[in-house]
Amino acid sequence: MSHAETTQFFRVSRRTVLRGAGVAMGLPWLESIPVWGYAPVADGAANPLPKRFAVQFMACGIHPDHWWAKGNGSDMELSKSLTPMEPLKKKMNVVHGLFNKSATDVGIHPGQTGNILSGASLQRGAELRGGISVDQVLANHLRQETMQPSMVLGCEQPTTGYHETNFSMAYSSHISWQNETSPVPMEVYPSLAFDGLFENRGSRSNKSVLDRVKEHAASLSRRASAVDRAKLDEYLTSVREIEKRIERQRADQDKAVDRVRSNGKPLFHMQRPDNGLPEDIREHMRLMSDIIALAFQTDKTRIATLLLCRDISGLFYPFLNVRSAHHSASHSDTSEEWERISRYYCEQFAYLCSRLDAMSEGDCSVLDNSCLLWINNMWSGTNHDSTKVPLLTAGSLGGTLQTGRSLDYLSAGDDNRKLCSLYLSIMDRMGVQLDRFGDAESRLANL
Amino acid sequence: MTAKKLLEQVRSIVKHQLSIVALACVLWPISTWQVYAQEVPEAQLEDGFRTSVAPFLNVYCCGCHGAEEPEAKLDLAQYSSLAEVRRDHGHWEIVLERLELDDMPPRDVKPRPDETERKAVIEWIQAFRESEAHRNAGDPGPVFARRLSNAEYNYTIRDLTGIDIQPTKTFPVDPANAAGFDNSGESLAMSPALLNKYLGAARQVVEHLVLKPNGIAFAPHPVMADTDRDKYCVRRIVNFYSRQPTDYADYFLAAWRYRHRAALGMSDGMLDDIAEAGGVSPKYLATMWDVLNDGQTAAGPIAKLRGMWDALPSDASEHDRARGGCEAMRDFVMTLRQKLRPKFPNLNIPGSNRGSQTFVLWKNRQYVAQRRNFDPGVFRIRDESLVVSDEDPMDEDLLYPADEHERAEHEQAVARFASVFPDAFYLSERSRDYVTEKEMQFEKGRLLSAGFHSMTGYFRDDRPLYDLILDEASQREIDALWQQLNFVTNAPQRQYSGFLWFERTDSTYLRDERFDFARAENPAAFSDEMVKGLHEMYAAKARTVNAGEREMDAINVYFKEINEQIRWVEQVRIKAEPTHLDAVIAFAERAYRRRLTPIEREETLAFYHSRRDEGVGHEEGIRDTVVSVLMSPFFCYRLDIAGAGSGRRPLTDEELASRLSYFLWASMPDESLLAIARAGRLHQSEVLLSEVQRMLRDDRVRGMAEEFGGNWLDFRRFQEHNAVDRERFPQFTDELREAMFEEPIRFFIDLAQNDRSVLDFIDAGHTFVNATLAEHYGMPSVDGWSRIDNASDYHRGGLLPMSVFLTKNAPGLRTSPVKRGYWVARRILGERIPPPPPGVPELPNDEAKLDLPLRDALAVHRDNINCASCHERFDSLGVAFENFGPVGKLREEDMAGRLVSTTDTFPGGYKGSGVHDLRKYLQTQRRDEYLDSVCRKLLSYALGRTLILPDELLIREMRQNLEAGEHRFGSLIETIVTSPQFLNKRGRDHLVQNDPSL
Repeated sequence: MSHAETTQFFRVSRRTVLRGAGVAMGLPWLESIPVWGYAPVADGAANPLPKRFAVQFMACGIHPDHWWAKGNGSDMELSKSLTPMEPLKKKMNVVHGLFNKSATDVGIHPGQTGNILSGASLQRGAELRGGISVDQVLANHLRQETMQPSMVLGCEQPTTGYHETNFSMAYSSHISWQNETSPVPMEVYPSLAFDGLFENRGSRSNKSVLDRVKEHAASLSRRASAVDRAKLDEYLTSVREIEKRIERQRADQDKAVDRVRSNGKPLFHMQRPDNGLPEDIREHMRLMSDIIALAFQTDKTRIATLLLCRDISGLFYPFLNVRSAHHSASHSDTSEEWERISRYYCEQFAYLCSRLDAMSEGDCSVLDNSCLLWINNMWSGTNHDSTKVPLLTAGSLGGTLQTGRSLDYLSAGDDNRKLCSLYLSIMDRMGVQLDRFGDAESRLANL
Repeated sequence: MTAKKLLEQVRSIVKHQLSIVALACVLWPISTWQVYAQEVPEAQLEDGFRTSVAPFLNVYCCGCHGAEEPEAKLDLAQYSSLAEVRRDHGHWEIVLERLELDDMPPRDVKPRPDETERKAVIEWIQAFRESEAHRNAGDPGPVFARRLSNAEYNYTIRDLTGIDIQPTKTFPVDPANAAGFDNSGESLAMSPALLNKYLGAARQVVEHLVLKPNGIAFAPHPVMADTDRDKYCVRRIVNFYSRQPTDYADYFLAAWRYRHRAALGMSDGMLDDIAEAGGVSPKYLATMWDVLNDGQTAAGPIAKLRGMWDALPSDASEHDRARGGCEAMRDFVMTLRQKLRPKFPNLNIPGSNRGSQTFVLWKNRQYVAQRRNFDPGVFRIRDESLVVSDEDPMDEDLLYPADEHERAEHEQAVARFASVFPDAFYLSERSRDYVTEKEMQFEKGRLLSAGFHSMTGYFRDDRPLYDLILDEASQREIDALWQQLNFVTNAPQRQYSGFLWFERTDSTYLRDERFDFARAENPAAFSDEMVKGLHEMYAAKARTVNAGEREMDAINVYFKEINEQIRWVEQVRIKAEPTHLDAVIAFAERAYRRRLTPIEREETLAFYHSRRDEGVGHEEGIRDTVVSVLMSPFFCYRLDIAGAGSGRRPLTDEELASRLSYFLWASMPDESLLAIARAGRLHQSEVLLSEVQRMLRDDRVRGMAEEFGGNWLDFRRFQEHNAVDRERFPQFTDELREAMFEEPIRFFIDLAQNDRSVLDFIDAGHTFVNATLAEHYGMPSVDGWSRIDNASDYHRGGLLPMSVFLTKNAPGLRTSPVKRGYWVARRILGERIPPPPPGVPELPNDEAKLDLPLRDALAVHRDNINCASCHERFDSLGVAFENFGPVGKLREEDMAGRLVSTTDTFPGGYKGSGVHDLRKYLQTQRRDEYLDSVCRKLLSYALGRTLILPDELLIREMRQNLEAGEHRFGSLIETIVTSPQFLNKRGRDHLVQNDPSL
């Protein structure tokens, strides 16, 4: 096969071929290319690299005076709280003025949070009701492509109970919802999140199950008549085939991880975290971001959300020299303490971005093939103001999302500054075209 | 032999057999069964073959069908003896068919056999086949191992877990066998893709699995997230509460009925019986009766209540007026009781918050302790000298008499009143109690809440209900439900986690650095040691801010109780592990529909332990074990182990139980059937028949209605029918479609449950409708599903005019006499008609675009001899339905506005019009064919295979018993389940090659 033919073949059908063979490959891209013996496609029209989407969430607002950006590109000027993003500013957008209409005029806190990624209106009282979140829509769409449809992580235990607005506190704890009534169970233990990726827990458990039932079929078969044995063979063959698929998938992934390790390029070294929760919240947040980065690099999942803290958070920050817990501190949102906290959360975003940016993929980085969102449920914690929310994006989704800009939608009119419009725009670029999502029926202009 | 070869062999056998049996269905019974009904001696057959058959072949057939390149690959020169014919009798079926049709040898080929020669060979083949059937009479036939069909899988999961998850909803449609049923190994195959779906289905089922202190259960929704577990447990408790009889009026009325029991014709009635009849608690009714009637002097509210009681009507017939009086008594009790509620303060200490769990729970406990007491502070002593203004009227009910002695009596009466009528039996919702009334107003629907702010916390407050109303069994039930809540949702630990958070946010109590060790993020914070440690420091701080005695008490009780609750969950979770394993074993026995051998028990436990050894937790280990049970062929396959040798063996009782339940319910056996099987009694025919009776009356017979009825009459997938143009037929809503589907199901269930005649399917003048369908049929409206006895007044009744068939067999904007007639011929009469040749032009889809009425257009095409040979067998049957439009609505004109005619000449020359005459025609001219068809279909469904030659004898028996038993549906079932075919399994060495049935 000539080089040109190979390239052509690759362009049209690489995914299809893999799927046809029953394999959802999880190779880090740079490494996989020599394996398959073709060069990357130069033509930008067909970009085969996987696109990822991740969200980092902080609650209770930021310091309103120190959260702004001016200008574009290398001239972009960043405010104090945003300084951690300085080295990455060409790869990010500071988006001002978006909001979630369903999270306004419903009272403070839980009603401003549980729908931040869905735009759904929430139900008060004992029974939860909201809407599926954007990450889970994407996860459902990409379900077959990767080992895990999505990772839903958190650095603070979820809670329930009732807020004074009569919304369940579950809304304050969960931003990822699998359907109208159920949040996605959130993993707060780094060790378990890690195992979920690298010990292939789901597939190992399926493997054990299949091993067991294979024995059942074999023992039945020994006692069955010839015709019945033939029918059982059909079953056994199917079991073996599924087992082989699981084995193949695992072998490929192990190989992928090994390659990353032994490669001279940006090496990803990570020990399995210990059981239990890290004592230090700084370590906890970093570990969770590391795990997302690792999962993206090895294409184990393409969708992740990380709840850095929940709404009405009780996290506290002795290392920032702040004695109040998160929520209480947010009630003085123009204090220096709160600025330090806001900047600290921006650092978490910068950390994840720089991790992904250090991972080469083709002639760009994993960050370039992703869209990361940093989002907060309020602008001001003192006023519980959610008429606009702080929002950062990073990564260009393979060149389809222009970055290095400060965008302001505040005066565009309520219909033209919906968070759900942003989600529609992002989903478009990830291959999920919907007519409407949440409260939006149109894409965000000029994104 | 390799498995693959075997598989191929099975496939070819199956394919082969299908074609043969299909033909047998058409030709065999009509032509011969009265003629020969016995086994013909071997020698006689051998002789017949030599003298008439072999020469016939030689002269008339082998010219084309000889050994050298035989036509149609049929070599008739190879048969030189009876044994060879027997080995390959399938081909002889074809020979018979062509000879009977007289189109072989071809008419233009010479020489042609004369009539006598032809008949002799036909009769020989018939005799041979009859003889074969007798020789193998009762052969159980080839019932292949097979997976559960999609429908069976869903029903079985429903009966196994108690919840209707329908995991196969998204599976590919099961293929049907030649008899039209998807319950046989002939058609049900397994593939890797499907197995993967089975894995997904099993995972879906275990997402509903709940581990309880004393076993396992399945929730109606997935319970993987905390919030879903909460919902599951809370709903069960709230539902329990709302089921309890707590309306005072019901008790007063029951007491009144007891008073008049003689007049009401219940002179022997005990108070308990009256309570039961009135749906109230006997225990509480007795208490109430005493209050109203005992000899103690009555003062205050009790006296007032007795006054009302005495004023209830003395005539037992005045029930409604008595009810009104009882409600007035209830209102009096409720109103006064609210005024007597004790009130409690909100506690607090410096640096803390009134909403601290310690103080909220203290207050909750006071309410619980005082629900049957009253607040003496609301009473005033009557003093005539006091000036009472209109703005502040004295509440007569809250006045104590001035006289000291009377006052003591009055006080006693109030105490008794308060004790018998608690201020609440239970609380199923609670808002925050420490905020203003205005704030509380918004806090509705917080089920079982402890009344915290923004924290997980449940609080049990049902003491009066427990003590006054519940019997012991109910007390145990509600105790267990509350334990489950803590156990399943881990509520105590989550509550304590909320405590640690709140005491740093709304309260600032724990903000001091020395408390930093107690963080919810630290798992050790929940240990006995840490909870006790925090308790000590917390209390020490309280003393330094001079906390009062009540506050100190609140703090101490809080830590003690929350620690106990956390420890309880911890310990019971460990203690429950073996219980869960026992439950999984019991689950496996039900899933496998038989007892497990000791080795299998061991193996199941070993699997669980191996998962634990691999590092998964208990719950996940249990889930994986349940998944493996559901993936096991013991669960998802139906397979009866063959006996030794080549003969047949009787099914074991447990195997028979499964065969019976999948036949009658399309699902697993229930506990009582399995118990009979385990006791080894099911094979006794009187036991078997009484189980059949019971099972046919059970609601699960719906499984048979859908799976047998739905496939027999070809409407199984009607709920997905989308061929109707809803713009032209806006009445065809999803509800109507559902109702149409339901009509034959209801009809079938009624017929099976009441053991009616199978002739009713055709002849009945009744049907079943709901409001939607009644409207569609122009009938008066009904409540729910109702039987309509005079359906014939609306041109309905029986299967024929049901709109589901009329709609399914109409292509959108016109009717189709062809399809409707074909449906009658094929489904009702069991005729086999070949598919139309390719290239037949289609009629327009909209009858408004036709030049002629449909009936006339069809008459034209029957002038074409090629069409007529088949179409004359059914077109006219369909014309009878022309007064029903494309969605089965009665009509006089077609869609082009032309009058419709339903008159035609049915096959055999019977002239008639409409469904009425069609029914008559079927009754008088085609009854045998209809009954024969029903027997064949039902037998094939029951046995899970296509029919074979020896089954012909059983079909005859079914027909005979049907005639003798007034055509009762039950007689068919009884004949089948007591037949050797149903009760036996072929031996392992039954040689496929020499199988006389194949």
